[in-house]
Amino acid sequence: MSVETQQTGGGRFPSWIGQYLRDHLLLAVIVVLFAVYPFLYDFLTGQFGLTAQMILPRTRTMLTILALGLFAMSFDFISGYTGYLSFGHAAFFGIGAYFVVLGHNGQLPVVPAETSFMLLLLIGALVAVIAAFLIGLISFRLSGVYFAMITLGIAEMMYVASNNWGFLTPGTSDPTEGVAAGSPTDVGFFEPMVGVPFVEALQVEIGPFGDESILGISVGDPQIVSYLAIGAVVLLCYLMMKRIIHSPFGRVMIAIRENEERAKAIGYNVFYYKMGAFMISAFFGAVAGALFVGYEGAIDPTNSFFFLVTGFALVAAIIGGLGTLAGPFFGYIFLEGVEEFLSREGSGGGLQPFLEQNLPGAILDTDIAGLTINEALSAFMTGHGDFYAGIIFIIFVLYVPIGMLGTLRNRYGTDSLAKYVSAGVEKRLPSSDGETAATGDDD
Amino acid sequence: MLRTNRLTKRFGGITATDEVTFELGDKLTSIIGPNGAGKTTFFNLLTGALTPTEGTVELKKDGGWVDITGMDTHETAQMGIHRSYQITNVFPTTSVLENVRVAAQAHGSNSVRFWRNVNNFDEHYEEAYGILDRVGLADKAEVPAENLSHGEKRQLEVGIALAGDPDVLLLDEPNAGVSSEDIDAVKAIIEDVATDHAVLLVEHNMDIVMDVSERIVVLNQGAVIADDKPENIQGDPDVQEAYLGGYEAGDLEARRQDTAASQGSGTEPDGGGLA
Repeated sequence: MSVETQQTGGGRFPSWIGQYLRDHLLLAVIVVLFAVYPFLYDFLTGQFGLTAQMILPRTRTMLTILALGLFAMSFDFISGYTGYLSFGHAAFFGIGAYFVVLGHNGQLPVVPAETSFMLLLLIGALVAVIAAFLIGLISFRLSGVYFAMITLGIAEMMYVASNNWGFLTPGTSDPTEGVAAGSPTDVGFFEPMVGVPFVEALQVEIGPFGDESILGISVGDPQIVSYLAIGAVVLLCYLMMKRIIHSPFGRVMIAIRENEERAKAIGYNVFYYKMGAFMISAFFGAVAGALFVGYEGAIDPTNSFFFLVTGFALVAAIIGGLGTLAGPFFGYIFLEGVEEFLSREGSGGGLQPFLEQNLPGAILDTDIAGLTINEALSAFMTGHGDFYAGIIFIIFVLYVPIGMLGTLRNRYGTDSLAKYVSAGVEKRLPSSDGETAATGDDD
Repeated sequence: MLRTNRLTKRFGGITATDEVTFELGDKLTSIIGPNGAGKTTFFNLLTGALTPTEGTVELKKDGGWVDITGMDTHETAQMGIHRSYQITNVFPTTSVLENVRVAAQAHGSNSVRFWRNVNNFDEHYEEAYGILDRVGLADKAEVPAENLSHGEKRQLEVGIALAGDPDVLLLDEPNAGVSSEDIDAVKAIIEDVATDHAVLLVEHNMDIVMDVSERIVVLNQGAVIADDKPENIQGDPDVQEAYLGGYEAGDLEARRQDTAASQGSGTEPDGGGLA
């Protein structure tokens, strides 16, 4: 890309912004869609009621997806691009999450209580980078399934520790039930501010009781403000990871995935590159954990260090496309969407409330083999989203092994979907200023 | 360019490379020898994929000899010793261009620049295009490497080794499995790269060896048994012994009679084991 050389345009913005947007049209459209999603959701559910509620995930669910989707992307960053399955990636999520909570509660050495959220997020991520370095020293001696097992073993050790270590919850409850930020009586409330550190105007308080306006615009709902603020951080992290993937360093990561022996033979000290990639992915994994806590305000071992946290990231990555950076994020939306679709009324609505309202009672009460249809729905579908997600996962592994984004990419050019879209639009619109076609670095 | 001194590698009781003292100069040199003679082991010792049991490997750098014994493969590659592989060993799903480009990028410090887009580094693209031209793959630049034909993969194999302008090229059977129509293309590449690199070639196809080599080294059971010009190698009795196990016309017939005669008597028929 040669955007740096095009800063000559007039108007309010330098011309490279326009060029960048044209090159990244698909990204821009998707970002805008995500940004308006909460409003769209309110509008559509107002218009179409249960039908929309059935299909669309709630804003609350989307908030979880943002944090866990970022985690899945960080998992894919190391696993999909270097081929080293980081099966203990939950360790970094946990470190990021616990660091924010413990840091706020003043339980960490050096870090004073009530340190600002953004600072805790950054320091926690750096702690995760150090942890990744130490884990890497041990685990990169091996490859393949042995690498995965060592990282998993270390994460499980952290899980056990987080379940039993009284330090985490001094004098109060059982560590298995987790810790909440601001729980000790001598510590102030947890009021996480997200935004540019030290710039008051560019920060908002997230959380269920956070700000109701963002950048001076009132949206009336702290949940939406949190969604937008966390979304902005996730977008920034995505762009940073993408930048790295498309750098010379990222190309070496891919070369290692493709053929580590040859990568070594052409002169790369692959250990350094694997270690670097692992540390970078740990950084973003910890940011995801911190963002998760930012809204939830509390964390427990099962939602952080537990191996299923990595397991879901892996499932999301495979459904979305391992080795496509954005794929795992969309995979996560898909997973959570299925789960919510089949959830009970009152926690997002879904299939059953919709059927109850739209099918005549006679059908629902029809008796088949001793169960009415309604009862059968309750017994076999509602609340069993994980089960059906599992089936979908198996189908994906069997028939779409490269995932949703991988399939799309293969179909529309091997390089990137965004290029395809930008080039397609360019072709239809006569180029007004004669600038060359898209040479974006999107994926 | 490259020399070894009493280079030895033992695997348990087997001596795969046996006190090889050898110097590679500017002449295109081939290593031949029967299967199991230790040709690939010798290559692996030169690049550092294997650590020698005894002996040294030295590389000429800026007029002086540098001891590179015990260096890892990535270090010898950085020093300027590149190799191609007998069994195609490329980056399968990335494009042909990227295969060579990433190899070109390995030299210099650009690979750690994770904050800049790879397209800003034109020098690697230019080098890669130049190499693709040279090995005859310029029109396949965008094809994923796994979609190439076998012969083209062999060309790419050499192309990757060429990136980064090595001082010494070790080519391990570049013609392995190549169909007879494609052999000339690979042969032309070997001759071309030998013009500006020190080339050490392992090859089984004797027509090619006799044709392109200026010097031939014969290995048998890990040891050098002959080192001479091609025309002298052909007539060397030791070489014939190594390849044919002392077979001379009529041997088989004679042996069969020996075996028949010695049946029941318990005496072993004498005869060198055929390789």
